[in-house]
Amino acid sequence: MNRSAPAAITGIGCLSAAGMSLKENMVSLFAGKRCAAPPERFTSSHPLHYPVFEILKDPSPGNNPENKDILRTCRLGLSAVNEALLDAGLGPEDLTRLRVGVCMGTTVGSTMTDEEFYRNFRGGMRPGMTMIERFLKSNPASVIAREFNLKGPCQTVVNACSSGTDAIGIGASWIRSGMCDMVIAGGADELCRVTYNGFISLMITDDSPCRPFDRDRKGLNLGEGAGILILESDRILRDREKPARAFVLGYGSACDGYHLTAPSPEGKGLKNALTDALLESGKTAGDIAFINAHGTATRDNDRTEAMVLAEMLPDVPFFSTKGYTGHALGAAGAIEAAFTVACLESGMIPSNAGFASLDPELGVSPVYENTRISRNVAVSDSLAFGGHNAALVLGLERV
Amino acid sequence: MRIHINGIGVVGGFGSGVKALLTCLEMGLPPLKVHDTGYGPAFLADTSPLEAFVRKKSLRRIDHFSQMAILGAHLALQDGGMPSMAAKRTGLIICSGYGASRTTFSFLDSVINDGDACASPTSFSNSVHNAAAGHLSILLKLGGPSLTVSQFEMSVPSALLSARQWLQEGRVDHVLFGAVDEYCDVVGYCWRSFFGEDDHCVMSPLSQDRESAIPGEGSVFFLLSKEKADTSKYGSVVDVRMGRLDGASVLSSEQTTFILGADGHKGCDRLYADFMPPGAESACYSPLYGSLPIGPAFDMAIAALCIREEKMFASPESVADQGKYNIIRKALPLTPGSITCLKVAKDYEFGIITVTTG
Repeated sequence: MNRSAPAAITGIGCLSAAGMSLKENMVSLFAGKRCAAPPERFTSSHPLHYPVFEILKDPSPGNNPENKDILRTCRLGLSAVNEALLDAGLGPEDLTRLRVGVCMGTTVGSTMTDEEFYRNFRGGMRPGMTMIERFLKSNPASVIAREFNLKGPCQTVVNACSSGTDAIGIGASWIRSGMCDMVIAGGADELCRVTYNGFISLMITDDSPCRPFDRDRKGLNLGEGAGILILESDRILRDREKPARAFVLGYGSACDGYHLTAPSPEGKGLKNALTDALLESGKTAGDIAFINAHGTATRDNDRTEAMVLAEMLPDVPFFSTKGYTGHALGAAGAIEAAFTVACLESGMIPSNAGFASLDPELGVSPVYENTRISRNVAVSDSLAFGGHNAALVLGLERV
Repeated sequence: MRIHINGIGVVGGFGSGVKALLTCLEMGLPPLKVHDTGYGPAFLADTSPLEAFVRKKSLRRIDHFSQMAILGAHLALQDGGMPSMAAKRTGLIICSGYGASRTTFSFLDSVINDGDACASPTSFSNSVHNAAAGHLSILLKLGGPSLTVSQFEMSVPSALLSARQWLQEGRVDHVLFGAVDEYCDVVGYCWRSFFGEDDHCVMSPLSQDRESAIPGEGSVFFLLSKEKADTSKYGSVVDVRMGRLDGASVLSSEQTTFILGADGHKGCDRLYADFMPPGAESACYSPLYGSLPIGPAFDMAIAALCIREEKMFASPESVADQGKYNIIRKALPLTPGSITCLKVAKDYEFGIITVTTG
């Protein structure tokens, strides 16, 4: 892994059940506010009502007429993009003059899962193509490119729960290589019955608000949302005389090669991803202020992750924000990258919501109260189905 | 930067392996067997040759989509003379337009048949888009980076950009790069609903007035490296681009030989004319593998085979011309050669992959 030039972050947008903007999210996080409740947008026949972190407001579709009827995942994504562009001081007209790429992570946003269509199809009712057309118009990266008439590369990353982290790492590499002047990178995902039923079927869902890294954790709660970072090349940054908010200093990605749904017990892939991300950034454990951990609150994830973090980044404070947002799947890594930058800027990290008791098997605790930090570099990592792992090193300074 | 193609594995309606594809190209004929699916014809893939590489028992819980991926990957490794890989220095990239659609609907079947509480965990975990990458990394004991991309018709050029980035940045020495898509009844039904019920058995791409797409399925894998393998004669990828045409030409006059990804959808097929430099010669081979989002991967494999065989194969007779494309009707010598694979989708989205000798 070679040391690489950092990519500047000039704008951030984020929405989740904790808030409709990055600012609202951070207020909720530092206030310890969490709003897990049974889903309102869909029903289920499960005897237990598993809580979710749902966004109850409906984000508006974009301005492009083609985007009037798109999947909710894309609406969430567009909402975060609009916030991020505003934050970066960019208008749509600025984008058309540049080589702008879009790299988005998702899970639900790339899967044809419309239950009503399929029930009708199975029932021989010859359903119309409205739902299929909606799906075909709703590739998350393409929707953003279409909305702003962008002509650069588009990539929708479907690495399950690490998609958002990977999309940011890939977007940064497009900037470094000179392929793009600017990249809109992040992730978006919506809550739906398929993932709700799917995660319950795997018996890794908690029927109460989730408790990442806690002794009594029982599993995850699903969430939804989007996180977007605007990444810019040095040349554009100079031309615009725009200061960067932060930098993507390093990215690593590695697979376990162990199991489809469980992490390697030794954390092989996560160690490799963290090693590569740190090497690329030129940072060491001593430089890291905190780790925004994946921390889903499943038994396996938290065990492996805590073990790896204790070994590779000993004594570095860590926390999970899933207790505030739920697990937003393909958006999770991007939302958490946005939180990571906001925490670095504020010099403060939030308590790990849901944590009450040290798990002796883990031997380490996340931060359990809002805590001041002094360094300006942090790590955000993700573990995913398929045995995939990804990590970002983010910092406020270029070096 | 050159990306060397050191091995190819293909699976499709024409059979599996480079030899099967080559036979099809030499004959200029589509697969002999066109499956009648109940929703019209389709070119379907047979994964039974996988048993030569993986114990049947290990495949029990692996769906058709992932089996096509695993077969394609093993064939590429075998073709490249690398049955095992340096685990941490090999990246894995898979792309797909629709993902494991059969399994996605199997999961819905479990919910519809037996209720929410009886949803199938096996179907759910296999329906996740990166399940094929997960299975492959387990079977091949890979520990490097892994990426799954879904960008409909632009999945292949989009994912190939990342393969190039990984090699360029020194993240890995090799990339096992694959593209997979599968047929399912819902795809067949949608095809009929969108494009009519004409049960033709031959595709006529580039026809301006007729829908002739026949859905296909399969996988295409490449062993890509920064260094050229001594034995490889497939050439290398020298240009990968994607974007949206905005008036300025994206192709130069130096690009004279094309493989067009037109696949019988008249709405998209008619857009190719707006991209072509004057005087360029074109071939189109989609009637051999069918219409599917990862078609550009088949075209890239065919371009590499043309480089190896030092000739452009004749396009199947059913490819229309309309006097616009200078379609290659007879095999042409190609020494040294450079072939540009062009895929055009709705709204003038394009993907370009250029393969050259050396």
